[in-house]
Amino acid sequence: MIRPAASGTAPALGAKPKRFRGKSFKEAMEFYVFISPWFVVFVLLGLIPLLYGLYLSFTNYAGFNMDRLKFVGFANYHKVFTDNDAMYSLGRTLLITGIMVPLSTILGFLLAVLLNQNIKNIGLYRTLFFIPSIIPVVAVGTMWRSLFVDDGVVNNALESLGLQPVDWLGYDYAMVPLLIMLLWGVGGGILIYLAGLKGVSKDLYEAAAIDGATALQRFVKITVPLVTPVLFFQFIMNIIGSLQIFVQPILLAANSNSLLSLPIRPNYVYSVHAFQQIFAYGRFGYGLALLWVLFIMILVLTVIVFSTSKLWVFYEVDQEGR
Amino acid sequence: MVNAGARNKPFRIVIYTLLVALSILFVVPLYWLLTNSVQTVGSASTFWPTSFRLENYKYAVTLIDYWNFARNSIIITAISVLIPTLTSAFVGFGFARLRAPGKNVLFLLMLSTMMLPAIVTQIPTYVIFFKIGFINTFWPWFFWALGGSAFSIFLYRQFFATFPKDLEEAATIDGCSTYRIFWNIFLPISLPVIATVAILSFNGSWGNDYITPFMFLQNDKYPLATALFSIGYVFPGQKDITLTQVQSAGLILFVLPIIVVFFLGQRYLVEGVVSSAIKG
Repeated sequence: MIRPAASGTAPALGAKPKRFRGKSFKEAMEFYVFISPWFVVFVLLGLIPLLYGLYLSFTNYAGFNMDRLKFVGFANYHKVFTDNDAMYSLGRTLLITGIMVPLSTILGFLLAVLLNQNIKNIGLYRTLFFIPSIIPVVAVGTMWRSLFVDDGVVNNALESLGLQPVDWLGYDYAMVPLLIMLLWGVGGGILIYLAGLKGVSKDLYEAAAIDGATALQRFVKITVPLVTPVLFFQFIMNIIGSLQIFVQPILLAANSNSLLSLPIRPNYVYSVHAFQQIFAYGRFGYGLALLWVLFIMILVLTVIVFSTSKLWVFYEVDQEGR
Repeated sequence: MVNAGARNKPFRIVIYTLLVALSILFVVPLYWLLTNSVQTVGSASTFWPTSFRLENYKYAVTLIDYWNFARNSIIITAISVLIPTLTSAFVGFGFARLRAPGKNVLFLLMLSTMMLPAIVTQIPTYVIFFKIGFINTFWPWFFWALGGSAFSIFLYRQFFATFPKDLEEAATIDGCSTYRIFWNIFLPISLPVIATVAILSFNGSWGNDYITPFMFLQNDKYPLATALFSIGYVFPGQKDITLTQVQSAGLILFVLPIIVVFFLGQRYLVEGVVSSAIKG
């Protein structure tokens, strides 16, 4: 894959490279060679399908009528906003996102702070905290469903405490197991938070301690501001991830046995609706319109969060000197 | 904060209590999965094991075509780990060490692809691949792999950017080409990042790549991640009775490679992410 270097020249003109036109041209060409694997695949398997999908979302494509596609204008998009199921599922998705994003961002950070303590065997705890996030979602979902079924471990525990068993997977409570299951994987962010925490210079804490700052003051005045870039990154990634929640509600469904199983109504999220339209009903054009609306929502939300970043994200002055 | 109240006893007790309580919360569901996998088929779920039936594991691999699915998983995972781990490093090197017009725009473009819900491109890709004849083959994974992954490229880029410029300047003077610099100087010192990227790609592929196989492959080419989802463990002849104990055993076998890889590579994992020094 790595082509033999077309050089062997590299004029050695002294220690400091002067900005010769030829040299920076060669460097630029090499840059394009280096990024070409990503760029070519991005164009062919990212950009082209993306735009092709955008085109199809304006047609009546139904999976079989490729040779007599009809352009339907914004009809599919109009339908998104008049389809009760789409709007309901969007509402559920936004609700789950609204609960999950702050919770998982803050809890993930607090877990990392806990794991950043100078304590014996901290590596072991780090591993235990991180493990849930590496377990494949198929296993996670199946596991939690069996824990929450009517005669499952959770209800057994409630009964042994003299409490009434709860219909966890039923209509009234279905969101609880879903949120618990999603929160169980909150340790996934700790690696990135730890990276941020370890990047905070020890000198700052020492200086603050000498000045008489308490542990809490040091945490609020030093730790939190200095890791806001990481919090910001995780916040955005959590928003993007939450809006796309898809498979966990399906796995919690009573008789979940395929990706086309229907979650119970309160867990009927937006991606499931889009997936159903495409794979259960063959409404490709409409399904793609649903997905494009989701994509645009993610973009808009990300831009909004970015525009607030100046207010709360602390950037060190030196950004790699650039 | 790092050593906040290190000599403060009540504080330590709180920390230890929290650590132990949270560890239990994070591990107990898995313990229960393990317990359930050796319970008598059809028994009610309990917290403490009441029997020890290893034959559940035998059923797990014989009731469905387990080894065939495992083989498919291995093929897809091998493609999706080996190739992008290398190509992402190559691309990341370009973004970290070379200057060219348009670089910042391209880097932002690359990062923004992380925001794109994969399914938005996968459905049109299906239509395109159907025309080319890639459906029900592993070729799609090969071509996706060639481009690397945005997050891996980002990790490599952050890591490579931390070295002083002298590193390649000295080598350039010695007549070393940029490609040799990448291959002989930068790759050998980036083992923590390589391990991190490989582990994360392994988890992503072995464990969580189930939708694309569902779309692009037929049943007998499904990897385990998809098969365990859509081909359940049911009582022979009775589709409605799921054998949850056997299913648990099948899931344990499926999860095992992930745990093993994680423990083998975990000492690199933190180091890899930390040394990439992610900052905004």
